[in-house]
Amino acid sequence: MVSGEPQEASAERPEKARRLRASRAGAAALVSTAVLVGAGALLYDVIAVRAGQPARRWRAQIADELATRHLDDLGVLVGAGVAALLGGWLLWLAVAPGLRRWLVLRPYGGTSAAVDRAGIGHLLADRAAGLTGIDHLRIRVGRRRVRVTVSGPADPASVQRQLREELARVGVARPLRLDVRTVAGPTGGEAEG
Amino acid sequence: MRRTVVNRVLLGVAGAVLLGAGVLVLAGGLDLYRRLGVDPPRWWPLTSPDQPVVSERSRVRWVASSWWWPTVIGGLSVLVAGTAWWLVAQLRRTGLSSIAVPTPGVGGLRLRVSARALEEALERGTEVLPEVDRAVVRLVRAPGHPRLRGAVRLTPGGDPAALVEHFEDGPRGDALHSLGLAELPAELRVRVLQEAPAERRHVWPRRRRRGRSRVE
Repeated sequence: MVSGEPQEASAERPEKARRLRASRAGAAALVSTAVLVGAGALLYDVIAVRAGQPARRWRAQIADELATRHLDDLGVLVGAGVAALLGGWLLWLAVAPGLRRWLVLRPYGGTSAAVDRAGIGHLLADRAAGLTGIDHLRIRVGRRRVRVTVSGPADPASVQRQLREELARVGVARPLRLDVRTVAGPTGGEAEG
Repeated sequence: MRRTVVNRVLLGVAGAVLLGAGVLVLAGGLDLYRRLGVDPPRWWPLTSPDQPVVSERSRVRWVASSWWWPTVIGGLSVLVAGTAWWLVAQLRRTGLSSIAVPTPGVGGLRLRVSARALEEALERGTEVLPEVDRAVVRLVRAPGHPRLRGAVRLTPGGDPAALVEHFEDGPRGDALHSLGLAELPAELRVRVLQEAPAERRHVWPRRRRRGRSRVE
C-alpha cells in the first residue's frame, strides 16, 4: 500500500507542477464584511419599515441623493470612477495567481515544494562569492529569468557556467533563463534596483 | 483549494458588478454615447448626463406590486446569509487537531492521532535532514484528506531539490508508514539563508533581514 504510492503519485504529478495560487482570504474577508454590513443594514431597515416604523435617516438620505444628483455631478463621477477601479482590482485579484514570490520546484512523490525567489538569489550570490575576480555583483531573480550583472576581471563564460550549474541544482519546475552581463567599471553594481 | 476557487469566483462577481456599475455611470455622466456616436438600445439605463442616478420613479416602480417586498426581503436575506457563510469560511482555522488513522483488521476501533504529535515528529525528522536550519510543519484541512504544509529554511548553499527528496523519503515516508495512511500530500515552502558576506562586495537590492529578503 505504501510502497506502491510514490510511483503512482509521481506518474500523475508532472502536470501538477503548476503555479501556486493564493487563496485570497484577506480580500474575501474584506469584501464579504462590506457586503454583509451593507445588506444587513438595508434588510433590517426594510423589515422595520414594513413593520410600520419610519425609515432611518441614512436610507432616506441615500435615496434622496440618488434621486437628485445627476449623472454629470462631480461626486457621482468620482464615485463611479472609484467603483470601476475597485471592481477592476477585485477582478484582477480573482484572476491573477498571486504568490509571485514563490517558484514551484519539480515535485517528488507526494511532496510538492516551492522556493523563495530571494533564496535562489542567495544561492547564486554564495556560489559567486567563491569565484575570483568579481568586484561587484548584482543578482535579480525574476519569475522567468535571472539577471546577473558582474564587474571585474573574471571570465564571464566561467561565471555563467558556474551560476547555471547552481541554478540547475535548485530544480525549479519551469527552468529560469540566466542572463549574465558584464560591465566595465564598478558603476554597474552601484545602481539600486 | 476549494476555498481558493470559491473566493476567486465570488471576488470576480463582486468586481464585475462594481466595474459594470461604475462604467455604466461614467459612460452616461461623461456623455460617451453621444460623443462616440453609439446608439444604445431603448431599454439601456443611464444614457443621459441630465438624468438622476436612481430617479424617484424608477425606485418606486414596482413598490405597488405584491411580489416586490417579499422579493426584496428574500433577496437581501439570501445575500446576508451567503456573505455571512463566506466570511465564516475565511475565519475558520485551517489547522486540524487530530487525524484519523486506519485500523485494518480490528473491528470497532477508531483511532485518531493528535495533529501536534504528528507535526512535532515531522518537524524533528525534517530538522535533522542535511542543510536544514529550521522547519515548521502543520497538518491542514483540505478537501478529501488532510495535507501537510511545511516551511523549511535551509542553511547557506542548501539544496532545495535534495531537501524535497530527503523529506519525501524520510519524515513523510516514515509518517505514512507508521500511521498506515494511503496518502498525506505535502507542500513545502523553502527558503535559503545567505552566507554573511565576508567583505562588502555584494550590492543587494532591497535587502531586508537574513533569509527573509525579497528580490524585486
